[in-house]
Amino acid sequence: MQEPQSAPVAYLAAVGTALPGDPVDNGKLAKTLGVNDEWIDVFIGTRTRHFARDLDSGEVRWSLADLCAQAAERALTASRVAADEIEFVVMGTATPDHLMPATVNLVADLLGLDQLPTYQLQSGCAGAVQALDMGRTLIMGGGYRAGLVIGGDVCSKHLDLDRDLSDAPPSDLVNYVLFGDGAGAAVLTSEPRGQRLAVRRVLNRFTGLGREPGQVIDWFGLADRHEDRQAVREDYKAIEEFVPLIAEEILWELLEDLDWPSDRVDFLLPPQLSGHMTRRIAEKLRLPGAVEVSCVAETGNNGNALPFLQMEGLMDRMTEGQRALAVAVESSKWIKSGFALEKV
Amino acid sequence: MRPVAIVGLDCRFPGAPDAGAYWEMLMRSGEGVGRVPAQRWDARDFHSPAGAEGHSNTTEGGFISDPDVFDNEFFTISPREAAAMDPQQRLLLQCAWRAVEDSGIAPQRLAGTSAGVFVGIMGNEWAQLHLTDYARVTAQVGSGNGYCMTANRVSYHLDLKGPSLAVDTACSSSLVAVHLACNALLSGECDTAIAAGVNVALTPALSIFYTQAGLSAPDGRCKPFSADADGIGRGEGVGAVVLRRLEDAVADGQPVYAVIRGTAVNQDGRSNGITAPNRWSQQDVLAAAYRRAGVEPSDMTFTEAHGTGTVLGDMIEVKALGQLHSGRSGRPMAFGSVKGSIGHTEGAAGIAGLIKVALSLHHRTVPASRYAASENPALKLSKNGLRLLKAPLRLRSGQSALGGLSSFGMGGTNAHAVLESAPPYAARPGAQPPPEQAHSGRTGLGSGVFTVSAPSLDALRRNLLAQADAVARRRAPAGPLCWSSNRVKTGHRYRFAVPVDGSGELAAALREAAGDDDSLARLTGHPAGKPLAALLFTGQGSQYPAMTAQLYRQSPLYRRFLDEADAALAPHTGGSVRDLLLSGESSVHRTGWAQPALFAVGYALSACLSELGVRPALLLGHSVGEYAAAVLAEVFPLEQAARLVAARGALMERLPERGGMLAVRADAAELAELVAAEPLVGVGAVNGPRATVLSGDLAALERIGEALERRGVRSRRLDVSHAFHSPLMEPVLERFAEVAGEVGGGVPKLPVYSTVRGRLLEAEPMDAEYWTEHICAPVLFGEAAARLLDAGPTHLVEVGPRPVLTKMARGLRSSAGAGGTSLALVPGETSGGRELAESVAELYRSGLDPRWHAVYPEEDRLPQRLAPYAFSDAHRFWTRAPVRSGSAVRSGSAVRAGSAAGVQVLPAQPYSGELEPGRPAAGAGETLTAVLPSAREAAPADPVARAVIAAVAEVGGYAPDESSPLSLLYEDLGFDSVMVMELKDRIQERLTGLEAMSVQDLLPRLSSVGDLIGYLQDRVGSAVA
Repeated sequence: MQEPQSAPVAYLAAVGTALPGDPVDNGKLAKTLGVNDEWIDVFIGTRTRHFARDLDSGEVRWSLADLCAQAAERALTASRVAADEIEFVVMGTATPDHLMPATVNLVADLLGLDQLPTYQLQSGCAGAVQALDMGRTLIMGGGYRAGLVIGGDVCSKHLDLDRDLSDAPPSDLVNYVLFGDGAGAAVLTSEPRGQRLAVRRVLNRFTGLGREPGQVIDWFGLADRHEDRQAVREDYKAIEEFVPLIAEEILWELLEDLDWPSDRVDFLLPPQLSGHMTRRIAEKLRLPGAVEVSCVAETGNNGNALPFLQMEGLMDRMTEGQRALAVAVESSKWIKSGFALEKV
Repeated sequence: MRPVAIVGLDCRFPGAPDAGAYWEMLMRSGEGVGRVPAQRWDARDFHSPAGAEGHSNTTEGGFISDPDVFDNEFFTISPREAAAMDPQQRLLLQCAWRAVEDSGIAPQRLAGTSAGVFVGIMGNEWAQLHLTDYARVTAQVGSGNGYCMTANRVSYHLDLKGPSLAVDTACSSSLVAVHLACNALLSGECDTAIAAGVNVALTPALSIFYTQAGLSAPDGRCKPFSADADGIGRGEGVGAVVLRRLEDAVADGQPVYAVIRGTAVNQDGRSNGITAPNRWSQQDVLAAAYRRAGVEPSDMTFTEAHGTGTVLGDMIEVKALGQLHSGRSGRPMAFGSVKGSIGHTEGAAGIAGLIKVALSLHHRTVPASRYAASENPALKLSKNGLRLLKAPLRLRSGQSALGGLSSFGMGGTNAHAVLESAPPYAARPGAQPPPEQAHSGRTGLGSGVFTVSAPSLDALRRNLLAQADAVARRRAPAGPLCWSSNRVKTGHRYRFAVPVDGSGELAAALREAAGDDDSLARLTGHPAGKPLAALLFTGQGSQYPAMTAQLYRQSPLYRRFLDEADAALAPHTGGSVRDLLLSGESSVHRTGWAQPALFAVGYALSACLSELGVRPALLLGHSVGEYAAAVLAEVFPLEQAARLVAARGALMERLPERGGMLAVRADAAELAELVAAEPLVGVGAVNGPRATVLSGDLAALERIGEALERRGVRSRRLDVSHAFHSPLMEPVLERFAEVAGEVGGGVPKLPVYSTVRGRLLEAEPMDAEYWTEHICAPVLFGEAAARLLDAGPTHLVEVGPRPVLTKMARGLRSSAGAGGTSLALVPGETSGGRELAESVAELYRSGLDPRWHAVYPEEDRLPQRLAPYAFSDAHRFWTRAPVRSGSAVRSGSAVRAGSAAGVQVLPAQPYSGELEPGRPAAGAGETLTAVLPSAREAAPADPVARAVIAAVAEVGGYAPDESSPLSLLYEDLGFDSVMVMELKDRIQERLTGLEAMSVQDLLPRLSSVGDLIGYLQDRVGSAVA
């Protein structure tokens, strides 16, 4: 179902991203962590990633707020929308710098924004899409004309460089080699500006009723910080089994809702789990004629930054009338998400 | 066609042990297909990838787990009989029971009714295994087999007297059974129908047949409407639905999953071959069902197709659907088939589809169809007005949706059904009270009572845990949970009941009782009969400020009756007794208030009991307590009693306050002399042996008290304003008698043990004369209570604001030689609804079947689906698997070789008595391990094999004899990717002749150790060559 002509439409004017430092390749990571780099190649398929923590010194060099503000600045610059036109900020992250204040407000501060509504959505891989959904809703229903949508994650807190991983089981190892840090941002407008990408549809749906989480990231406070709990846990078997199926369902639901024939999609932005998983999923999402836009093999899985990094890959390639579909699955409590863009 | 409601369901399908799991599996597009379990047959014995004669081209299929488990004790079926029964009968029995529970009633309540049972079934493999072994055909084997017995067993064990039949129309059997069940309901043959389907694969015969007919998918999976579709995969399952005419279901307040609007059945007739599907007949049956439902094709939102995943079958079905839908306006109709997830469940296929459609309408989401993403373009779905369900389809809330269901039989019998979402909840009235309770006003105690019952303590524990888990998993308000448990979980001998206010508390209480024997004993009864309740109405002295105020605030039921009493008293008391109680004022101690207030409390409490279904068997009231007892016994109406008791209190209050009462630890006879010496003192009450109360002038009592002290007899002044039941009361008699004369009073219609007479009243009126005498006469509680105890009540229920009489009666019990449990409706000053609920719970545990209606306010009387009965899995009954006759005996399979199939009982605990003579008593595992390849073979001679096995052992930490060429690396030995990396290195270390290889080379070769050995042997060989 297309939006009726008269209905307001939200447009993506520009995207900006920020990755901390230089890429860390498998050789470097393997050396630092004491793991087998062939194993990373064969089973994960991620070649490089970026970390906010310096692997040699152990020092944290970027906060999430730093990265998000940098990405937002770049998006603003590219969009030619002035900072004082921004009327709201929505941000999605699973790894805020603090529980309070919300990182979105630190970002607003860094950007010099004030006297505007801000929202922070706590979510994993679907957070960026949820932020987009929220931003689109504000524009379509709230009368706003321009706003910033931001997503980003940093795993510095859990990147324990002192740990000896030589005997770690794969389920534990994965957490060290899968993830990376980064941030992205987009400027949304009520009129076509900049890149003139109409956001035709956003899917954001909880589907985890009665299902065990596929991923848990814990946080620790004064009382429980010494407990011997794994900070990051994933049920890789469940993720491997279900994410491809869920991705297919998201794709088809978007296509059917939009009434877009499957051969009329020009770009596909598949879920970015790891180099290998993403390739496998992309193969299952048979869209004849669609060009895959992925980044995880180079950026690592940096959570809520991923859709922005993928969109950035779209920016200079889409021509008028072309369409792109993005699919993201949050396996923590099984959230389906995705969105559809069309250049006008 | 008039609508038929699906009110209950239960099922078990591959990968889904119950209906909840079935839905979850569908919602995640999961599947339950896997290897043929060794318990059925050895798939390798019958496997030929090319589909050679007498072989199947697949070793996979959709099998349910634990088909051998059966709770024979629940159905009181002997192990011998259970072992001879077709597992399809056993599975169906349990499934039908659970489906009835799911419909919101206890299955016992269906007993004796005309409920019908309609079972679709096409597999008879148990009979093929057993009835051909002529030497072993026993009576049990006879009744344990046959299609008819699947339905008849259910009718027999649930005592259902309506139609009971099995239907075999091949793969459409269970939808045809549903069709017949609907017709039976609509023609009035029965008021409730259980429609079911069942299919258990015990032999490879049908797999071989499908292969030979070119219909079998090599991977054992149906891939409906997919470009990859290449045939049928067999599936198993059992499912049952409970059907009612919609209007009956609504009137009885049963929850409705979905409504069947129309069904139709037809035949291909003489078509293109008896097993060939026929497009025109399929079209006709669809059109007939739409017609019967009164809907247009374009009204249909989605359809659950037959969809077996054969290229031809899919094509014909799409064309038939297209004939009706290609011209539709609006969106194409969504469709899919559950067979992609569970395989083709043959006789159970129709019920699998029906349950899926019903749950889809219920949850307002149609699950995606597995393999839909690889849609077969040759089907030209959009041209046919169709679209495959590639993602779950959310149905719009707030409007009804229609879903269709097709099931086609191999022999040409086709069925289609049209279902609609249930009428919106708000449009349906709640459960109506039985006619005799209609317009009965406010109900509810303020707390609910959760009940669970079971035929044994073990079963009760198991079911308490099942309920605890379910309640903890999904929050629901406690009131509806309790109400539903009373309706559904109350039919068995062991009765558990606990009063609760919240679901969190409920889950904890259930869990505690399941794990703690003391708690379980406290909350569980095992009654032999019904309780015989004696109601003891407390008299003056028991009053206190704010008595029962908490109960009044919490319980609408109590509120209703206290308000009634208040309204009756108000014209005579010049104020509101209720307001007095709620205000907590101490003036309640003034006689003018105390007497009407106690009367009001006694009346309201006893009226609550009557409303709760407690039949007062025996009544006794202490002094002024007798007034409320008399109202209950219909001596006079409430209004008259209120007038009289108000007058009594008022007259007495006006007497000068120079009287008092003295409780003495002595028999009345011992005091006769002292009393005779004091004209202003009399015996006020004889509460028992050595429990006498003297009443009269304060100075005179003082003298008596001193005299008693000299004799060493203990006495105690009671805190009363007047000398009740004494000569000092005489001045009120005249005025009182006037009022009493106007009020009158008849013979009690219930057994009243009079404290004036000290015995049961026998056809004697409680009239003006009686009530006037009552004022000065001593209260002969001791004698009256002793007579009452002689009648053998099971419970002494204190009807008053605190326990007084039950305590006094306790002292009498030993002398009267009678027992009886004491129960206080208001055990303490802060008691409220919860304590009253506990009394109801206790009476239920003791055999009372309360009118549960009265326990809950109307808004709580909502059906809430509870976890169905959890059957025991302690006993297993199975047969030995079929084997290929004349085939080579493989190592490890000697137990089965060459023997005919025989019945074997496999109880979890060793069970003796049913095993064949000369055969060792087998544990549950032995038949299974017997067909598994032996892991302990002699060390291989080949150096490559030796090296690989050693490397595997080293990496996995196994002893060398713990793995063999047959071990599967991932499944059996638990290898993961890190171990694989290491394995590669270890092998290279050991096999120096081997050229360097990569993990990628190795990965595809890693299914079994043997595969790996074979691969490496080739590599080593080629390296040498």
